Amino acid sequence: MFEFFFKYPITVFTKGRLVLLGAWPGWVLLLLIVASVAGLGWLIWRRLPEAAPKMQTWRAGVVWLLQSLLVTLVLVLSWQPAITVAELKSQQNLIAVLVDDSRSMAIADSGSDGKTAREAAAVRSLNDGILAGLQTRFQTRVYRMDSGIARVEKVDGMQATASATHINDGLKQLVAETADLPVGAVVLLSDGGENNGGIDLETISALRNRRLPVHTVGFGREQVGHDVEMDDVSVASRALADSRMKATVSFHQRGYAGGKTTLVAKDGDKALASKDVTLGADGAIQTETMFFNAGTAGVKRVQFSLEPLGGEENVANNATARLVSVSGEKRRILYVEGEPRWEYKFIRRAADDDHSMQIVSMLRTTENKIYRQGISDPAELADGFPVKAEDLFRYDGIIIGSVEAGYFTPRQQELLREFVDRRGGGLLFLGGRFALADGGWGASSVTELLPTFLPNGKNTFHRDPATAQLTAAGADSAVMRLLDDPAKNVERWKKLPYMMDYQDAGSPKPGATVLAEMNVGRARLPLLVTQNYGRGRTAVMATSGTWRWQMSQALGDPTHDMFWQQLLRWVAADSPGRVVASMPVQRLMDDGRVRLTATVRDKEYVPAPDARVVAHVIGPEGASALVDMRPVPDNAGTFQAEWTAEKPGSYVTEVTAGRGADELGRDVLTFERTDGVAENFHTEQNRELLEKLSSQTGGRYWKADELGRLPREISYSEAGISVRDTKELWNMPIVFLVLLGLMSGQWMLRRKWGVI
Amino acid sequence: MKVVQAMLVAVVAVVFCSAVAAYQRVADWGYQPEQSNVKAEFAWSRLSYTSNLGSSGYGGYGGYYGRGWATWSRDYPKADRQFLIALNRLTRIEGRPTEQVVNLDSDDIFNYPWVYAVQVQTWSFTDEEAKRLREYLLKGGFLMVDDFHGTADWENFMNGMRQVFPDRPVEDLENKDEIFHVLYDMDDRFQVPGEQYIRTGRTYEKDGYVAKWRAIRDDHGRIVVAICHNMHLGDAWEWADDPEYPEQFASMAFRVGLNYIVYGMTH
Repeated sequence: MFEFFFKYPITVFTKGRLVLLGAWPGWVLLLLIVASVAGLGWLIWRRLPEAAPKMQTWRAGVVWLLQSLLVTLVLVLSWQPAITVAELKSQQNLIAVLVDDSRSMAIADSGSDGKTAREAAAVRSLNDGILAGLQTRFQTRVYRMDSGIARVEKVDGMQATASATHINDGLKQLVAETADLPVGAVVLLSDGGENNGGIDLETISALRNRRLPVHTVGFGREQVGHDVEMDDVSVASRALADSRMKATVSFHQRGYAGGKTTLVAKDGDKALASKDVTLGADGAIQTETMFFNAGTAGVKRVQFSLEPLGGEENVANNATARLVSVSGEKRRILYVEGEPRWEYKFIRRAADDDHSMQIVSMLRTTENKIYRQGISDPAELADGFPVKAEDLFRYDGIIIGSVEAGYFTPRQQELLREFVDRRGGGLLFLGGRFALADGGWGASSVTELLPTFLPNGKNTFHRDPATAQLTAAGADSAVMRLLDDPAKNVERWKKLPYMMDYQDAGSPKPGATVLAEMNVGRARLPLLVTQNYGRGRTAVMATSGTWRWQMSQALGDPTHDMFWQQLLRWVAADSPGRVVASMPVQRLMDDGRVRLTATVRDKEYVPAPDARVVAHVIGPEGASALVDMRPVPDNAGTFQAEWTAEKPGSYVTEVTAGRGADELGRDVLTFERTDGVAENFHTEQNRELLEKLSSQTGGRYWKADELGRLPREISYSEAGISVRDTKELWNMPIVFLVLLGLMSGQWMLRRKWGVI
Repeated sequence: MKVVQAMLVAVVAVVFCSAVAAYQRVADWGYQPEQSNVKAEFAWSRLSYTSNLGSSGYGGYGGYYGRGWATWSRDYPKADRQFLIALNRLTRIEGRPTEQVVNLDSDDIFNYPWVYAVQVQTWSFTDEEAKRLREYLLKGGFLMVDDFHGTADWENFMNGMRQVFPDRPVEDLENKDEIFHVLYDMDDRFQVPGEQYIRTGRTYEKDGYVAKWRAIRDDHGRIVVAICHNMHLGDAWEWADDPEYPEQFASMAFRVGLNYIVYGMTH
């Protein structure tokens, strides 16, 4: 239809440039148009008093407008308007046809019947005239595309069996391999299921540099009828043994809104946790939180899955897995207590049952005696609280009990700040008669570490009962989770026995999180407040009376110990070592390229840019490699290396850092390469990606039933060997229709108004 | 007139008898258990229990033993209060100035994780009381027993203890045990006699010639019952201010008590 009125395809207008072929300059045209329009206006205005009364109204304006348009159009046509557009020279260019042959193209949801495999539909489109049409003016090269591209002589033999789709890599490879060939355009037949997420800027730039348009042809339904698909699982990649872990699982569904299924977390055959979920609206991302125990030390492959529903079209996308490296090492917490008291004893007892935690404590039993517990050798803490960073930074967390700020020297107070800020440790303040405001902490330099603004003055500690209850943030926190069921957990907290005492910790600072509050009579005070500070974290637990949870509940009740174990893990578990290795993703999908990053610090946790860092990678089938990691410029203490995991399977990487003969530290990282799994996900046609790719490269997105026009329109390209063609516009049918319309319109209006 | 005389005699007799009864009641009750309202971290808790010597129990303080006190209240409360003076003076523990009497008939004992009992050869428990004491100890409570002597007392003590812990062994503590070093190093311990030493010069009572430092532990190896057999620490605290009672016995008794409390508050 467009071509009927405009003579040329729309591509000519979108890609071409408007020019005026007339000999006179354009400004003359503009001047004439303005003069003509003004002259017509003046004439009409001049003769208006003599005109019929009916024409002395807005009707005169309409006549002026129609006449002005007519004159303007005639003047423009006099200047010979035309479109110049680049067009591929016939028989001198090559069209690259890329056919996606990954496994998702085998899904039978295409064709006129909606039951033809996507690949088969693509092949049929090519054989039904597209290839022949292209070949009348161009040479064609057909490639199959999966994790890369490979040329094929015939399209009939292609099988949609490849385990991955890497459109990005395929296009990049095409640009590189055809650098010396006159490729005029690329035709990509695909469902858009790019396993690596998208097309990167580098690839788009390479295509643009060659002005190579990518015409994309989409296959497959844009929405499935009945399916539940796992989108993402967010879970810590490291944990201490027996940790309570929190996983945030997101998924979406179509066709089962309001239905019920079960979310399960498994380690091998062992179920770790399960949760009944009610499915949300079609297409909406739904997020569920679940808690599970990390178990014993070792690398765990935790699979999260949604139980398949009846009639589900694709059950392979119901599950995904994450690697969790569970460490058996003990985290050491230094507990400084200013007086013997029950809270001290019961916190220690809770930690005794946690094999991943060790409390090293120094307790002031008398004015001049310190009783040490949990020390690793007789010299540890023999001189009291450490005065050197390297001695204090050996600990992963610190607890300050009922002890005055003045007990610490200014240097020791500064070390406390550096412990959190630079070392990345956790610092917990407890309530007590010498603690918080009553201990003078509000007036100390450490006050900035605290997550609350302490009250002015003293007498904030009271030996009166207080009950605990969770805040909304606490209800969602793994620290406060005593029962898996969120509602029951909140109720459990409300039913805990009262605490023996409480302390007014003041008001939370901006950015701090109140996890629990205390009910004291009718007042409500913050009980447990946390915040991040520098690389570490701090917290206030404004009581010393939780021991009553242990003594006043039934023998064997785990509440007290579980809470303290979880809080102690929060304090210490995330404290980084001197060497921290990381990588962007720990599950590689079909692509083994790995970028390893390590941050290295010395014994005082100062970045160590002069370290020597080596990664030892051990993989499946005896694969082993030593990779030197190089310093990253302008990022002191950070080192990087790139490596490729050639085979699918699990890999363990030990990163070791040294300085001279001294070892600064080491860290272990695990990752996994899985091939073929990504193809099970996002099986709907990714039209958005295909449209974006074509629009960014000057191509066009095509539906399968529009392909008949492709051979002709593809020729308007600046790539390859092309010439600029000038197409005159004066003889477009639309021009004559408009001229006729303006003239006849004016005549008909005048007739209607009775002035003719 | 005879009637008036008779009535007068009767009134006098009633008043006299009432006075005697009143006097005897005071004498029977001994010290009233004064439960303090002072709030502090540590409350010295003395266990009152039902005696197996025919006592009506801790409720009535009616059991006669020795000099007429209920068995659980031997040396009470002077020993307790003198000990608390030492506790507050020699340690950073915030101790309540007066003692707390607890029993096994209610859950109130769970608010006091350290408890002291004397004359434990006379204690007896119902099944419910034994269960409550067992749970108290396994949840984190600490029991120190004192002032029982000789073979017969031991057997009687164990009769009650077996109700609480049928299977847990009693062990003799070695010098290296943490409980003897938590505050004071106490490798050189000796038998601490009761007040009778002043009159008799003997450090032992009955056939308890040698002091026994014993304990029962929980599953983690922590002492939950500290047993001071063949000694009388309570008397040493009580008579510490008596010029005739030797200072070394009182000092040893205070050190033992303080170590046991610090241990109970740290383990």
